[in-house]
Amino acid sequence: MDSFNAIVLSIFLPFIAALLVPLVEKVIKQRVGWFSAAIAFISFILIGQVTHNVVEGHTIEQSITWLPSAGIEFGIYVDGLSMMIGFIASGIGVIIMSYSNGYMSHKEDLPRYYQYLLLFMGSMIGMIFSSNIVQLFIFWELTSITSFMLIGYWRSKPASIYGATKSLLLTAGGGLFMLAGFILLHSITGTFDIPTILHNPEIVQDLKAHPLFLATLILIVIGAASKSAQGPFYIWLPNAMEAPTPVSAFLHSATMVKAGIYLIARVHPIFSGTDAWFLLVGGIGIFTMLLAGFLAFRQTDIKAILAYSTISQLAYMMTMYGYTSYHEPGIGVAAATFHLLNHATFKACLFLVAGIVAHEAATRDIRKLGGLRKEMPITFIIASIAALAMAGVPPLNGFLSKEMFYETSLEMGHVLGGPFEFLIPAAAVMAGVFTFAYSIKLIDGIFLGKRHDDHLPEHIHEAPYTMLVPAAFLALLVIFIGISPSQAVHYIIEPTTAGILLEEVHLHVALWHGFTTSLMMTIATFLIGIAVYTKYDNIAAWQNRTNERYPWFSVNYVYDRIVNGAKYRAGSFAARAQPGPVKTYISAMLLLFVVLGAIPAFIVTATLIPDSMNFNVPAYEILILGMMIIAAVASAVLRKYLHAIIALSSVGYLVSLVFIYLKAPDLALTQILVETLTTIIFLLVIVKVPQTFREKISNTTLAKDLIIASAVSLIVLVLMLNATQGIVSPLESLSYYFVENSLPLAGGHNIVNVIIVDFRGYDTLGEISVLCLAALGAYNLISSRGDNQ
Amino acid sequence: MTTLITKTVTKICIPLIILFSISLLLAGHNNPGGGFIGGVMFAAVISLTYVVFGLKNMKTIFNPGWDRVFAFGLLLASLTAFAAIPFGHHFFRSAVAFVHLPLFGEIELVSAALFDTGVYFVVIGSLLYIFKTLGEDK
Repeated sequence: MDSFNAIVLSIFLPFIAALLVPLVEKVIKQRVGWFSAAIAFISFILIGQVTHNVVEGHTIEQSITWLPSAGIEFGIYVDGLSMMIGFIASGIGVIIMSYSNGYMSHKEDLPRYYQYLLLFMGSMIGMIFSSNIVQLFIFWELTSITSFMLIGYWRSKPASIYGATKSLLLTAGGGLFMLAGFILLHSITGTFDIPTILHNPEIVQDLKAHPLFLATLILIVIGAASKSAQGPFYIWLPNAMEAPTPVSAFLHSATMVKAGIYLIARVHPIFSGTDAWFLLVGGIGIFTMLLAGFLAFRQTDIKAILAYSTISQLAYMMTMYGYTSYHEPGIGVAAATFHLLNHATFKACLFLVAGIVAHEAATRDIRKLGGLRKEMPITFIIASIAALAMAGVPPLNGFLSKEMFYETSLEMGHVLGGPFEFLIPAAAVMAGVFTFAYSIKLIDGIFLGKRHDDHLPEHIHEAPYTMLVPAAFLALLVIFIGISPSQAVHYIIEPTTAGILLEEVHLHVALWHGFTTSLMMTIATFLIGIAVYTKYDNIAAWQNRTNERYPWFSVNYVYDRIVNGAKYRAGSFAARAQPGPVKTYISAMLLLFVVLGAIPAFIVTATLIPDSMNFNVPAYEILILGMMIIAAVASAVLRKYLHAIIALSSVGYLVSLVFIYLKAPDLALTQILVETLTTIIFLLVIVKVPQTFREKISNTTLAKDLIIASAVSLIVLVLMLNATQGIVSPLESLSYYFVENSLPLAGGHNIVNVIIVDFRGYDTLGEISVLCLAALGAYNLISSRGDNQ
Repeated sequence: MTTLITKTVTKICIPLIILFSISLLLAGHNNPGGGFIGGVMFAAVISLTYVVFGLKNMKTIFNPGWDRVFAFGLLLASLTAFAAIPFGHHFFRSAVAFVHLPLFGEIELVSAALFDTGVYFVVIGSLLYIFKTLGEDK
């Protein structure tokens, strides 16, 4: 298959499959998880199909037109970077969906679960392979939305709702900053196409010299940081742990949170090498990795420890991608990329283990667990492998990338000189120490020590194979990459690094490099780590005490204040802006319309009344017009609601009569039908309204109303007269274009319909969406009113 | 309003008007009609039956989830909008083909008709959803 088609198929296959899931579920019942795992596997194969080119050092770049008038294309760009993340997204997808077959109880709403998972996977793959930044943004926000739905999967749990809302507000909100950054990038470079920017050194050069460079960079980094839970945005990730555990393993450790890292790597060639890049990306990274590593101590829930550890590990990657200088723009790229791959394997594995433990022992609280090594030996081995890899113990893969991290830290410190020569490697070692401590805590807390009989079920046994095999597979991968890194490095890391640095890269990664400085740092890490581990509980207790004493000293506190305050503030704003009577709103809206309409009418258009007008109106039109005026006046002065409504609808029917005379049967038909329906709906509503109709109106109110009404009608008249100015002469028909083109361009004789579905199809799509929203709005209005009473 | 005469007339009218609404939908591309009008026609006849037979009676006989109907319509219309892209056409580009079938003669197949069908379902679903919500309100 053509590479372009293969990638496009791998993106859209999960979307199509998501639509099919409910049907498939009808046929194969709870085995539907295997269906989605198969879809993920097909996507994996499709991505695998195109990669031999990439390994040989080529990139695939192809696009088709989408919105050519806006310079937006639907394009894909396959290089080492997108290939690697594509493999992670689809590969871990296969593992997670297989595992879910064992994890999810058959009583759950399985189709919804797998639909969300597939939609998420499709959006993730779509985001990775996007060559156009607008397309990237759309898929990016889709991942935020699907993540929101997955975190809130258990809809009735308040904690799920809280976590889901938080993640949506922070990640999707950050995405909007990113969009602003992208728009700035577009206005500076003149293109939305990523490869075009990457492969033009002049564009990149101009960008770096541009006054808006810093603003663009900050906006894009905000987007990336919010998605990857970096800096002050980290708070959503721990709450996201309310999702089912396989979802956390998939989204919140292996794939979605890597989207921010991916974006940083993707724009690395564009922005890196500047001080701003190092300070922002590297700074956020160092800050987050130390903070999150430290905060992990006080967590008692296994998944919460893993969440903080994920934040800290992602910060490693941020830091390494941030390590750049003018002379060496790519110091940490290879190390970061390698760590990205390794983290996906060992962290997903740890989450799967957390799922197994919670599934079998019915608790995730590390204080209640302990001594499970005898009952769950296989899980114990798998967990130890993954946790030791995270701690950076040789010969596992985490050791290799951590060594590279230390090496690049030394190098970066050396480049910066001064106190940084010591500070940067020290920060790296400190982060390693924290990682070591909580990794050991995980194993110790769950599997070693004494069994807490009073908290745990009596008989705990191994999980079913559907859950063990995926975790074991990841553990094997951890060992395999650790012992023999050359394959992974050659087939994945080198092409990826080459994709980011835009030049050929050859890496030499091995377990043993001799007694290097970085090995010394590793040994120091282990020694300090063991020392810190002995004080683990004291540190946690200290953190808890501090938090109790100074509750405002936390980002969560600020977030809750803002979000909870939003309701109150919106309420007080609404009370001021919407005092009550509907009449006020309508007059406000009409006045605004008058002002907005009057400005262009008086300033822009030169003549208010066009020179030539067509007053050649036949007698029957004048007759209908007269009847319309009578009916309109009647609807305003009649004393009873029923009569007024009937007068009002007779205006509508008279308008349809005009349409018939003007030879527009379509419009007439529509008008009659809509009029009938609105009259019925009106009548339904009106019987519930108290029938006191005539209240006293003072003369001043009457005068005000009169002024507003006549101003509005005047403006409408002026607008009508000027509506077609410059296109055709006033009161002339503009239908000629459509009459001539409807058959050749759209193959239809009925121009009204052709306009609706072909020429202005996009408008129609918008309109029907509005119609759907209106229906939902009506439902909400009615049902929420019921709640209050 | 629910006299025997209105009830009988309504019963006769329902299938006829539904057929008419479908014919409006299908005729739309070349003759007066289209998804919007067809949908409104359909909604009108159903709301007529609601008025004549009462919401409570209707809910026991005929009570589809109108929200699903409009959701389906919106999905269909959006998918048609994107359908031309994989074939290298613009967003919203529609295709026309003339097929010759025995008995029916020449038939025109327009991809926009699918879009129109989406509109049809959205109109039916959302109007009747609003109608039912307002009618159910106490």
